[in-house]
Amino acid sequence: MASVSELYDVTWEEMRDKLRKWREENYRNSEQIVDVGEELINEHASKLGDDIWIIYEQVMIAALDCSRDDLAWSCLQELKRQFPGSHRVKRLAGMRLEALERYEDATKLYDSILQDDPTNTAARKRRIAILKAQGKSAEAIRELNEYLEQFVGDQEAWHELSELYINEHDYGKAAFCLEELMMTNPHNHLYCEQYAEVKYTQGGMENLELSRRYFAQALKLNNRNMRALFGLCMSASHIAASPKVSAKVKKDNMKYAAWATAQINRAYQLAGRGTKESKCSVKAVEEMLESMQITMS
Amino acid sequence: MAEPELLLDSNIRLWVVLPIVFITFLVGVIRHYVSILLQSDKKLTLEQVSDSQVLIRSRILRENGKYIPKQSFLMRKFYFNNQEDGFFKKTKRKVVPPSPMTDPSMLTDMMKGNVTNVLPMILIGGWINWTFSGFVTTKVPFPLTLRFKPMLQQGIELLSLDASWVSSASWYFLNVFGLRSMYSLILGQDNGADQSRIMQEQMSGAAMAMPADTNKAFKAEWEALELTDHQWALESVEEELMSKELDLDGMFSSELPTGIF
Repeated sequence: MASVSELYDVTWEEMRDKLRKWREENYRNSEQIVDVGEELINEHASKLGDDIWIIYEQVMIAALDCSRDDLAWSCLQELKRQFPGSHRVKRLAGMRLEALERYEDATKLYDSILQDDPTNTAARKRRIAILKAQGKSAEAIRELNEYLEQFVGDQEAWHELSELYINEHDYGKAAFCLEELMMTNPHNHLYCEQYAEVKYTQGGMENLELSRRYFAQALKLNNRNMRALFGLCMSASHIAASPKVSAKVKKDNMKYAAWATAQINRAYQLAGRGTKESKCSVKAVEEMLESMQITMS
Repeated sequence: MAEPELLLDSNIRLWVVLPIVFITFLVGVIRHYVSILLQSDKKLTLEQVSDSQVLIRSRILRENGKYIPKQSFLMRKFYFNNQEDGFFKKTKRKVVPPSPMTDPSMLTDMMKGNVTNVLPMILIGGWINWTFSGFVTTKVPFPLTLRFKPMLQQGIELLSLDASWVSSASWYFLNVFGLRSMYSLILGQDNGADQSRIMQEQMSGAAMAMPADTNKAFKAEWEALELTDHQWALESVEEELMSKELDLDGMFSSELPTGIF
C-alpha cells in the first residue's frame, strides 16, 4: 500500500505539522493519525528530535482506538524507556490495559498513581471512564460527582457528567451541569443550545419559556445554528399551542414562531440555490412548517 | 565650565569593556542552568488545588452569573453564602503561615535563591573591582551630580573628574541589568538569570503567599458575592434577535475537505 507521503505528495514536515494541528485542536480522527504517525515514526524518527515523544503519545492513543495493539505496544515501550517512572506514561499503560478490557489491572495501576500523587486528575478521570465502559453508570456518576467536588473547575468533567445524567433521564441535574459550562464559556453557542434542548425535554411552561430564550441566545451568538433555529420555532409554537397561556403570550409566541419559520425557509432557499433536488427539500420544509401552524390554531 | 574631553586608551575598550560584558553574560547563562538543576518541585496538596478552583468558580459566578436563569444563580449563591452552612462560612482551613524558620522547604528555597543569585553577583563584582581598578572605564551619556562620584568611581581618587566617567565596577552593574533583554531572547522568557525580576519578586513576595491567606480569600469572596445581584442577560433576547434577519452568509458555500491534506 502506498505510504501517506506518496499518496498526497507531502513532506515529513507537513505531516508533522498536520499532527500538531490535530493535537492542538483535539481531533479524534484516529485512523488518519495512525496512518500519518506510523509513517513519521518509522521513516523519519531521527529528524523529529524531541517532538517524537509527544507524537508517540498521540499515535499510541490513536492506535488503541483502531485496535492496533502492536503499534501501541511499541510506542509505549519507547516512552517507557525514555521516561521511566513517569505518571503520564503510566496512564498510557493503563489506557492500553483498558483497551484490552483488563479493567481490574488498569484500576490497580491508576490507584497506584493516585497513591503517589493525589492531585493527578488524569488517573481519576480514567477510573471514571472504566466504570462508564463497564456500563456501571450509577457508580460512574457517583465517582464523577466526588471528583467534581474536588476539582470544580474541570469543564470536560462537567460536560461528561451532563451527558451521563441525560442518559439517565435526570434532566434537572444535567441542566445544572450545563449551567456551569455556560457560566465559564458565555460565548459558546453550543452549550446554550444543549441547555435549551434539555429544558425543552423537561417540559412544563417555565422550562419551555427558558428553552425558547436560550435557543434565541444560541442564535444570537451564532446566526447559522440551524438546530437552535428549529428549536426556537418548536418551543415558540409549543407555548403558543398550549391552552393555558394568556392571549398576549400566545400572540408573542406566534410572532416568534412565524419569524423562525421565515428564517428556516430562507435558509433552505439559500441552501438549494444550485442543485436540482433543492425544490423537493424546500417543499418538504414548507409542508412541515404548515402542518405545525395548523396544530397551533 | 567646559570639561576637556578625556581620551581613553583604546586598549581599555578591548581588554576591559568587552571582557566584562562577556563575563556578565556567561555568568548569567550559567546561573540559569544552575537554577534549573537546583529546582525543587513544588508539590501542591489536594486541598490547595481544590480551594483555588473553588475561588475561581465563585468569581466566575459573580462575573457571568447573568447568563444563567435567576433561580440557578440564587441556588449557587445560597450554596456559597448561606448563614449556617454556606461553603465560605463553614470552611475554615488550618492556616500555617509558612515562615522561613519553621518550614524547612522554604528555608532551602531561600538559600538556593541566595546562592545562585546574590552570591555570584557580590563575588564577581568584588573581583572586577579588584582586577580592573584604578582607571576610568567608560562615560555614561548623561550628566550626573557629584553625589554619584563615590559610588560610581570606586578606585579613582580624582576630585575634579566629572561624575559621568565611571569605573569598571559600575560598568559591571550596568551590564547585569542591561543584559536582561538579551537573556530573554536567548534563554526564553522565564529564565533563571533574570536578576531584577527575582528582586522584584522578593519585594512583592508577601503578596504571593497564597496558602497562608485561604481564609482571608474566602472572606473576601463571601463579601463580594453578597454584593452581587442577578441581572439576567436574556431579558429581551428574542426582541434583540428578531430585530434583523439572520446572517446566513457563507453557510453553504465552502466545499467539504476530502482526505488528510
